[in-house]
Amino acid sequence: MQAKFSVYRKEPGAHSKPGRSTYTVELADDATVMDALLKIRDEQDPTLGFRGSCLHGYCGDCTVRVNGKAAFSCTARVAPLAAKGGEIAVEPIRNMPVVKDLISDWDAFLWEKIDSTKPWMEPKDADGAAEPQIDDKLMARVRQAMSCNYCGLCDEGCTVLPVDFKFVGPAALTKASRFLFDPRDQATAERLRILERPKGMWDCVHCFEASEHCPREIAPTERIVEMRDEAFKRGITNEKVARHHLSFAASVKRSGWLDEGRLAIESEGLTNVSGLMKLLPTAAKAIARGKAPIPYLHPKRPGADRIARIIEKAEAKEK
Amino acid sequence: MVVGGGAAGLRAAIAAKQAGAKVALLSKVHPLRTNTALAQGGINAPLGADDSPEAYAGDILAAGDGLCDPAVVQSFALAAADAVMWLERMGTPFNRGADGRFDRRRFGSNSRARSLYVDDRTGHVVMQVLYEQFQRAGIPLFADWFVTSLVIDSARCVGVTALGLRSGTMDGFAARAVILATGGFTRMYLPSTVSMGTTGDGQNLAYQAGVPLMNLEMVQFHPLVYPGGNALMISEAVLAEGGQIVAGGQPIANLAGATRDKICMAIQQAARDGAAVALDLTMIGGQRLRARFPQTVELLRTVAGLDATKDSIPIRPVAHRPVGGIETTIAGQTPMHGLFACGECACNGLNGAGRLAGNILTEAVVFGARAGEAAAAYAKAASAPSFPAERLEEEKKRLEALVSTDKCEDTAGHIHAELGALMDRNAGAIRDAAGLQAARDRIHALKERYARLRVRNQSAIYNYDLVAYLELGSMLNLAEALVVAAAARKESRGAHRRSDFPARDDRTGISHTVVTMVQGAPQADTRAVVAL
Amino acid sequence: MKYAFYPGCVSKGGCPELYPSAVRVAAKLGIELEEMKDVACTGAGVLPQYISDPINARTFAKAERMGLPIMTICSTCQGVFGQANLRLQDAEYRARINREYLAEEGLEYKGTTEIKHLLWVVMEDYGADKLKAMVSKPLKGLKVSPFYGCFLRRPPEVVTPTKESNARKTYLEKLIDIVGAELTDISGKGKCCGFPVLTANEESSLGMTAKHTGEAKSKGADCMVTPCPLCHLSLDGNQPRAEQQEGKSIGLPILHMPQFLGLALGFSPAEMYLKRHIVSTMAVESKVNMMT
Repeated sequence: MQAKFSVYRKEPGAHSKPGRSTYTVELADDATVMDALLKIRDEQDPTLGFRGSCLHGYCGDCTVRVNGKAAFSCTARVAPLAAKGGEIAVEPIRNMPVVKDLISDWDAFLWEKIDSTKPWMEPKDADGAAEPQIDDKLMARVRQAMSCNYCGLCDEGCTVLPVDFKFVGPAALTKASRFLFDPRDQATAERLRILERPKGMWDCVHCFEASEHCPREIAPTERIVEMRDEAFKRGITNEKVARHHLSFAASVKRSGWLDEGRLAIESEGLTNVSGLMKLLPTAAKAIARGKAPIPYLHPKRPGADRIARIIEKAEAKEK
Repeated sequence: MVVGGGAAGLRAAIAAKQAGAKVALLSKVHPLRTNTALAQGGINAPLGADDSPEAYAGDILAAGDGLCDPAVVQSFALAAADAVMWLERMGTPFNRGADGRFDRRRFGSNSRARSLYVDDRTGHVVMQVLYEQFQRAGIPLFADWFVTSLVIDSARCVGVTALGLRSGTMDGFAARAVILATGGFTRMYLPSTVSMGTTGDGQNLAYQAGVPLMNLEMVQFHPLVYPGGNALMISEAVLAEGGQIVAGGQPIANLAGATRDKICMAIQQAARDGAAVALDLTMIGGQRLRARFPQTVELLRTVAGLDATKDSIPIRPVAHRPVGGIETTIAGQTPMHGLFACGECACNGLNGAGRLAGNILTEAVVFGARAGEAAAAYAKAASAPSFPAERLEEEKKRLEALVSTDKCEDTAGHIHAELGALMDRNAGAIRDAAGLQAARDRIHALKERYARLRVRNQSAIYNYDLVAYLELGSMLNLAEALVVAAAARKESRGAHRRSDFPARDDRTGISHTVVTMVQGAPQADTRAVVAL
Repeated sequence: MKYAFYPGCVSKGGCPELYPSAVRVAAKLGIELEEMKDVACTGAGVLPQYISDPINARTFAKAERMGLPIMTICSTCQGVFGQANLRLQDAEYRARINREYLAEEGLEYKGTTEIKHLLWVVMEDYGADKLKAMVSKPLKGLKVSPFYGCFLRRPPEVVTPTKESNARKTYLEKLIDIVGAELTDISGKGKCCGFPVLTANEESSLGMTAKHTGEAKSKGADCMVTPCPLCHLSLDGNQPRAEQQEGKSIGLPILHMPQFLGLALGFSPAEMYLKRHIVSTMAVESKVNMMT
């Protein structure tokens, strides 16, 4: 079959402007987009840049967007795309820096970020020879996180990275989460401490884009939330976030619902004068518009006592 | 310096670092993109109560069909358990049974279930664990760097020249010891199960430097490969769990516990008899299939458009892994000073004429570690390498001369396609003298065409046109050496099957085939099998 | 059409304009609301699941007892409820929660409670055609950008589990069309407003506020409409600080979804409490007042 491709092109360098190249190529009926790219590079345009390794959809190197949809070029079949007629658009994954053409800068948005999270096991028992007995349910959770093939799609979908590229990102966080379930690791607390620093796990907005983008049902967003819950349980969390959480929980325990004004104040910290001062302009405007909930004078909802009991019980159980 | 970031290379680098050496690793793809992930089904270790290093050694010797070096086999069988337990300690989440202990699969001709596994992603996960420990050891990584030559000074390997794909610049790396861990070469066959970069670059580097390549004719064909698209391999673990090979709708008999090559032969025979051969996994049951072989089910769906829980899967044997490679000692030392090799690119006498199913990852970690330790010890005792200054300039000029925008109708891809079809046909699972000779002649012609090729991409950064050209050169050299080796072995043994010599000949066949480059051409010789 | 009304915390706290305007709009449409008073905050994704699942199960059990589906007016409440409800469909998990937390109060959640945001209620239960017929003041010429709030779009297994429910991803655009306004589409409509990260990383949060309101403004929008009061707090409440951080002027009014619908149903801006907003809605009000 004959297929027409419109491929994103960009020369290396920050100032080069992206463009498109179109190619028409004759392919076998079961050809993949990768087959097409290889043929184009071989016969028509040797300058075309793209990545690939395993050719069978499991190494994650060739992630691209084909007609806007995320795909591995090595498993994306051309026939159904060509059947629609018109040009098949091939682009690098979005939101990520591009080195050349379809070659994304994996170092910048993936490898370096993973490297920064202490992503290795520090075994409790490095020299033991005996076969340990471990509940396979725990190992299954580790296997789930390790089925990740670093395709980069979760980072692509992340709503934080385009605004703050220094955020460590869902791929790195998901990989780090795999140690949570592993009883053999002794560095979990240390790793959580690394990850709770700025640009770490508390910068995630749990928007679920990562989970929606993940092609392997690893559910990165849920993994990150699990990790945060675990960190919180261990008391490993940055002070402002901790104050925020504690104030929130205390408010719901006290009254059944959220005292927003008090939350804002207690998150800053009652002795944090500069932090509290920063709140003043917004607070003043809000008061003027009649939309400032008065902190501390917060009515208790009926059933608050029952709700408090549940929360206390849940907290005690988790301890 | 370790060349190649797969399982063996990573393990070697870690071991060398732990032995006190200053190590760096150079890989043409990132370690997490290597062919290691192809090893899906499991990793052997004699850990079961019903198992022992002796039983394990026995199975290896049987699969090696008379060519194994017994001392190497014994040493390996004794080291395997610890090597695999190390992986476990470092975080590999092996599947476990209800009692919390390792679950095991029984592959191929293993007499017991001894393959530990991680779903159907064993290689993918082991690769991650090794990479993590590599990072933990703080070893510098040069990913997306392509080694273009070994640098040899006074018969000693003193380093490499390499092209940084990201920067587009060439650099020289001086090293007291170089460990080649570049993986297999079966991309010279089309179809093949392996990654795009499995082109035998390490073997070619050694070969061109005069280092012998051993038992090249022994190439394992994987029996369960869906031939469409880019050939999708299905782990033999499915046979261990109930999957069946059917010819013309009927299960092929006597395949339980058969070696890989025996299964390939049976399929090849059935196909020659005109039957449609397929893999039937439906009796494993949908739920179990999805739970135990998630990646297999997923890839069959995306690559082949097949539902493994309902459809039968057309299969044929496809070139998979080499058994032979760069000749080394048990410690990974090649005959050249300062040059070591481990993993799939090396041949140290363990596998003889055929590799026991499930051994590839075990080999990588056992001999990867050994090579790392040996190289570190060598480097400690060796003098500082004298890297000839002009070598880098020479190499730069050599590569520059390859680039030309002159019009050329021929392409690397066309030559590769012809080479691949030729090898599949003439040096496939079953060979004969006429076919091998025709292959040799044809390869000669392809090499002439290759000599006239030019690299047309002039830009420096990520010049994969140049990489493809260099890889093709590796494959052509190795293909030529392989057919020479195959022609020299006039018998059938292990993975090497000849229709004109269908029997095993223990009078003349118990010797290794060794191919050395002499005046630019492969010369075959024999090497005695070391008796116990 | 009757619902157990769950107004959440912010609609009576930081965004007190939302509660009365939602109640008014529901009444006008004939949607009967029985407010749930004796129920807890959802936890908003801040409280960990081991706390929020039990207190939300309690809320679901109470609605079940009322025999009514729950209606929310906040994307975050909707999301947290939806995710918790999905987990509570697992019988073993639900049994444990019932046993350990709800039984004491004599409650039991059987897993049947349905939860819908007002936006889904009007588009699915009320019906687009019926809604259109109720529009007495088409907002002709008003350029509106949609902003959903993440939890009204994701995760897919909670929000769009069926083929039909995929339509939920375009309800705001449809609503804009129904009320006769003009869609000014933005790429950020399904992204995060920045609110959840305000505590941990204010710079990132305000960056998101500026990005999405800025995009709408640059594309010529008169206002933005959102079904989530937390998004409103970020997009409206924090807009001045975002402007300051990014060094640019935005000044885009943000309307709550019920306010927006309410204007088209004939309510005055005052009746929809538009004066409560931080970013002045004067421009929108003038435009609306000039419409017939």
